[in-house]
Amino acid sequence: MRVFDFSLGEMLWSRRSVFLALLVGGPVVIALAIRVAVSAFSGLPRINGSTVSGSALFGMMIWLIYIRFIVPVLGVFYGTSLIADEVDDKTITYLFTRPIRRSAVLLGKYLAYLACTVLLVLPSVVLVYFFIVPLGGSIGESFPALVEDLGMLAIGLVAYGALFSWVGARLKRPLIIGLVFVFGWEPGVLLFPGYLKRLTIAYYVQALVPHAMPQDSAVSVLMQVFHEVPSVWISLIALCAISVFALWAAGRMVETREYVLEQ
Amino acid sequence: MMRRTRYFVVSSLAVLGVGVGTGLVAYYVGFPAGAFARKPGPEELQYVPRNATVVAYANVRDVMMSDVRRHLHDAMPMPENGQREFQEQTGINIENDIDHVVACLDPEPQSTDGAGMVLARGRFNQAKIESLIQQRGGRVESYKGKRLFTADHLDLDSKRQHQLPDSSHTGDETRGVRHAAHDFALAFIEPGLVAVGSENLVRLAIDLRGGGANVTSNNDLMNLVRSLDGGNAWAVGRFEALQAHAHLPPGVVGQLPAITWFSVSGHVDGGIRGTVRAETRDDEAANNLRDVVRGFVALAKMQAGSKPELQTLVQSLELAGTGKTVALSFSVPSELLDSASRARRKGEK
Repeated sequence: MRVFDFSLGEMLWSRRSVFLALLVGGPVVIALAIRVAVSAFSGLPRINGSTVSGSALFGMMIWLIYIRFIVPVLGVFYGTSLIADEVDDKTITYLFTRPIRRSAVLLGKYLAYLACTVLLVLPSVVLVYFFIVPLGGSIGESFPALVEDLGMLAIGLVAYGALFSWVGARLKRPLIIGLVFVFGWEPGVLLFPGYLKRLTIAYYVQALVPHAMPQDSAVSVLMQVFHEVPSVWISLIALCAISVFALWAAGRMVETREYVLEQ
Repeated sequence: MMRRTRYFVVSSLAVLGVGVGTGLVAYYVGFPAGAFARKPGPEELQYVPRNATVVAYANVRDVMMSDVRRHLHDAMPMPENGQREFQEQTGINIENDIDHVVACLDPEPQSTDGAGMVLARGRFNQAKIESLIQQRGGRVESYKGKRLFTADHLDLDSKRQHQLPDSSHTGDETRGVRHAAHDFALAFIEPGLVAVGSENLVRLAIDLRGGGANVTSNNDLMNLVRSLDGGNAWAVGRFEALQAHAHLPPGVVGQLPAITWFSVSGHVDGGIRGTVRAETRDDEAANNLRDVVRGFVALAKMQAGSKPELQTLVQSLELAGTGKTVALSFSVPSELLDSASRARRKGEK
């Protein structure tokens, strides 16, 4: 609990929190700008000559900004830094000398990551929803989709965070590996038919999205062509299994590994 | 936990809680989106009754000033009797006085044709219009603080009077015709907004000023209005209302696919861009309708092969829609209208 409390404060009020604020504040600013523009020009936004309703625009923002960018990036930046930052700052010794299990330290830090990201991302999504959806849409009608979005994003943060906390505990350059995984491996594998996409988190997270995948680029069109959607239950079980396994592996790694601090 | 961390957690949870709570209330109680945003469609929809079967909108100013109107006028000069007759009866000049109109159709049990109303927004000389209607035999009464003018079509148009069945006919049909013929009213609902049409509907529009169930609470119809492409002319409604007014032979009616709702939206400027959308009873009916439309589009493309001037129009036909929705978009370029007016001028020479 002390590790959670301390880590949450550290995560929120560090230099990285500026990056975090920009990341989750960006969509809110975009939504507000769209809202102001629509009020000023009294017409719904148009994409490729077609009018886009608030619900469709919100779905597009969830896909393009949150699922494909914010959730994986937060998972990579915060998940990999849970242990790696302590190693880099040479402060891990202080944590490991406390009379608690090493894996409990990791778990406390992971829960702090989860609280920090969930408490930032979900309110941001709610604000975007209330700015965007009333533009030619109904709040009541699309509310179930919002609840699904919030749940899906929280599950995504859980899974990405767990995976990258393992990567952070296991590898020496976890950030680079994480970025390659998120922006190289996952989109690349999802483009092609086959079984490899099952070795990604995005494959399962995308199955939980209640909105249609936008066709914003040739890559998206290709992704849609080869878009196999596992059932919701399979996705939930897979994400749960990935999270539990990754956390267990990360805990085990922290318990057994000797961290040599560079002088 | 540090104080600022505590503040952050509390404020984050508050935003989340208020947002989800509001959404939950909206979901269960039907909290209107209007609490946060403008309702879709023009403001005049608040005066249209909830059970309207067809609602239409036209930005008259845009349409009148568009090149399309000029081209159409050149290509097919139409007698403007209707426009003149309307001006003679009401004193309203459609071309100059009106900015936009909202029209609705509301079937009444006593009339097979249904009753209609037009709400016109613009600049009207109220005194002139009122005196003209009174000169024409219109009656004036006060209804809920508004001056309501009712007029008798029989008095205004003697030709129609002669066409009516003689007084020996006392059947329902005759009564229906007589009722429809008497049913004309005009009232200024608010400054710059005049309601013209069936007396019942105009009275209802005045009633709705004080609140009540207007068409904006008709979710089926408003969903269609929301889905429109923001054109300067559109119409949405129940397909059966169209069928009733088209007076189609029973054999043709039986062959029509099971369409429940329709919408047509268009943008009139240099050319015309528009979309016709139909909602069918089920997915199967939609698939059938898509097949039929696809066939017609293919036929049109074959026919257009020998007529290059029509190719742009035919190429613009695009069939879309998923589930129960079938949509066909089209674009009539200004060049096509130009060539039509040129062809007409050649013919005259």
